[in-house]
Amino acid sequence: MTGELLSVGLDLGTSTTQMVLSRLKLENRASPWAVPKVDITEKEVIYRSPVHFTPLLSDTRIDAAAVRALVEAEYQKAGVSRDSLQTGAVIITGETARKENARQVLEALAGLAGDFVVATAGPDLESLLAARGAGVDKLSRERHGAVLHFDVGGGTSNLALYDRGKLVDTGCLDVGGRLVKVDALTHKITYVMEKLRGLFPGVAVGETATREVLTPVCQAMTEALLEAAGLRPPGRWLKHFITHKTVDLTVKPNYFTFSGGVADCVWSPGEDDFAYGDMGVLLGRVIRRGFEEAGAALLPTEETIRATVVGAGSHATELSGSTIFYRDVDFPIKNLPVLRLDCPVERLEEELERALPMYADEGGQNPVCLALRGPENPSYQEVRALARAIRAGLSPLVEAGEVTVVAVENDMAKALGQCLYPLLPHGKLLCVDAVHAAQGSYIDLLAPACGGTVLPVVVKTLAFEKGG
Amino acid sequence: MNETELKQMVEQMVRDLAGRGELHAAPKGEVHHPDPAQTQSPGSSGGCHSDITEVDLRKQYLVESPANGPAFLDLKARTPARIGLGRAGARYKTDTMLRFRADHAAAQDSVFSLVAEDYPAKHGYFPVQTLCETKDEYLTRPDKGRRFDEANQAILKQRLPQGAKVVLAVGDGLSSAAIEANAADCIDAIRAGLKGYGIEAPEVPFVKFCRVGAGDHIGQITDCQLICLLVGERPGLVTAESMSAYITYMPRLGVPESKRTVVSNIHKGGTNAVEAGAHIAQLIRDILDKKASGVDLVRS
Repeated sequence: MTGELLSVGLDLGTSTTQMVLSRLKLENRASPWAVPKVDITEKEVIYRSPVHFTPLLSDTRIDAAAVRALVEAEYQKAGVSRDSLQTGAVIITGETARKENARQVLEALAGLAGDFVVATAGPDLESLLAARGAGVDKLSRERHGAVLHFDVGGGTSNLALYDRGKLVDTGCLDVGGRLVKVDALTHKITYVMEKLRGLFPGVAVGETATREVLTPVCQAMTEALLEAAGLRPPGRWLKHFITHKTVDLTVKPNYFTFSGGVADCVWSPGEDDFAYGDMGVLLGRVIRRGFEEAGAALLPTEETIRATVVGAGSHATELSGSTIFYRDVDFPIKNLPVLRLDCPVERLEEELERALPMYADEGGQNPVCLALRGPENPSYQEVRALARAIRAGLSPLVEAGEVTVVAVENDMAKALGQCLYPLLPHGKLLCVDAVHAAQGSYIDLLAPACGGTVLPVVVKTLAFEKGG
Repeated sequence: MNETELKQMVEQMVRDLAGRGELHAAPKGEVHHPDPAQTQSPGSSGGCHSDITEVDLRKQYLVESPANGPAFLDLKARTPARIGLGRAGARYKTDTMLRFRADHAAAQDSVFSLVAEDYPAKHGYFPVQTLCETKDEYLTRPDKGRRFDEANQAILKQRLPQGAKVVLAVGDGLSSAAIEANAADCIDAIRAGLKGYGIEAPEVPFVKFCRVGAGDHIGQITDCQLICLLVGERPGLVTAESMSAYITYMPRLGVPESKRTVVSNIHKGGTNAVEAGAHIAQLIRDILDKKASGVDLVRS
């Protein structure tokens, strides 16, 4: 029992736009005489686009038409049609997400990127994808230690802390190579990000950039990274550059890694300080010196500038458990809000009744995905009681003819589905397990793969990862 | 060195190791049974030993001053193997040795003990017995564990319908503990799953002293299309509670083993009984659809 998924990753960043195509191999890893267990056994990037500058109409508007044309051209070069893409993620990252028309661009792209592709953004998910794309989860597992990863891009730095293969926390700082832009020929400063204005002498639009003028900016940013890494006590610069939150250092990092465009400049900055028309080269150099002086152990990563896009292409899609239940479901189900309840089964019906109206509007009750942990090694009676409580609690949805979607963590989805199905007047039921979805996240459930045994799932949230 | 000297030497060594007073030499020709109260291990308290089988081996790491203990525990979480045990000289530590023997004993107990007398009635199964009269006979005569005498054949004939689509059965097999832990939940889940596919299964026979081949005889007697027999697996040192389901299409005397589809490793550390039951229900439907089980099913 094997299968394959063709997945696309598209990263629309502050400074660069990139695309990758990945082939995900699915394989049953259980012995033929046991219950199947399908896993993604191989993730191979089969096409990498060149690194394009993100087309902008102005400092605050993305050129949606140009982005569209760019993606179409890349599909052609890769020799794929959008219909052949089964999963993946389009993400608008960094400062670009704050542009005025980010939403329209996403919408224009979502259509182009094939029916199955999810469009998503958000700094937590971005940090996670960049770290996974750089191979940091693997690195920390192999070294049995804690790794703090910085994806230093054009507009933001995404932080992710991994401990022995598991994600601990994420954060985001306004530290990036393109927060000051410089004309490559005249070295005149053409753009300064708001947070930097008026703080550093000579750093203003129209002034001439030199190493001496920009080094204090790079030092302040590096100081913020060092403070976030716990290598310096938290101070003024960390506070100044925080986007929404930094990582909570509940474990002390043993190693530090870098990806993103600036990471290339950390390792090999080159001769020309303004080769890319920004301060990335200088920033890379200052970061390296700062971390080395602080005695930090730096490790190289599998990917640098392409980490986020490889993360989106190869690591956004997870698989459900291999014993699941679905009947009369139209796939894919996209952007379903997750309602998470981890109360005892006796209170589930009542809690569902209380929570469901939050997902209703003038149009009536909107569908949700009910997420719960579920008992470990349940008895049949427990499964049946759970099925009854879910049926009763989800009555408004069931009676509106909506599909019932339940995502449990513990291995019991097929049994739960078989118990629940007869209780529904119209069928339309989907039960998956081995999926962790937190309250407030959204979930995409794609068409079954590998002989119908598993569902590819994309949880759009900061998800805790499955063990191991 | 004569026998007395040897005895004195051993006694001296034991005394040194135990750090206790005089040991009384056992009378000649008799095994020395130490008084439990005098041989408490340092870990026990209040005159009562803690149950060493309660410890989760995957979370127990006994090496002293390791370079990276948490990393080793990460590896241990992935295997039930007895690794990272530390040592005393060239040997296992006492805890490790005792645990090994305890697990081995549990495995043996599971083979030699019987499923509780009231077990079938408690779950609404009707009891039958193969030709074996005792556990010893069951273990030494596998052929007898596959056939029923006339009285038991009559019970099966009377309680089960002729020509049923599916017969579900439970047999003790080589682990009574496996059956008591898993069979009832699994049967309930299979039954519920089958109902969803529009298949009803009749009453469940509980077969005492059961080998997998007993299902073939039940098939012969009842002319059923398919039998699904839940049997306790030969216990190992990891678990004594592992159960398997043997599913045979057209079970008749003499059917080759290659015609069986098996779902193994049903226990709380493998696939839990309820979810396995749900999977088995679907498997039964597929086998009925394709009219084939075992190797034939994989080829179809």
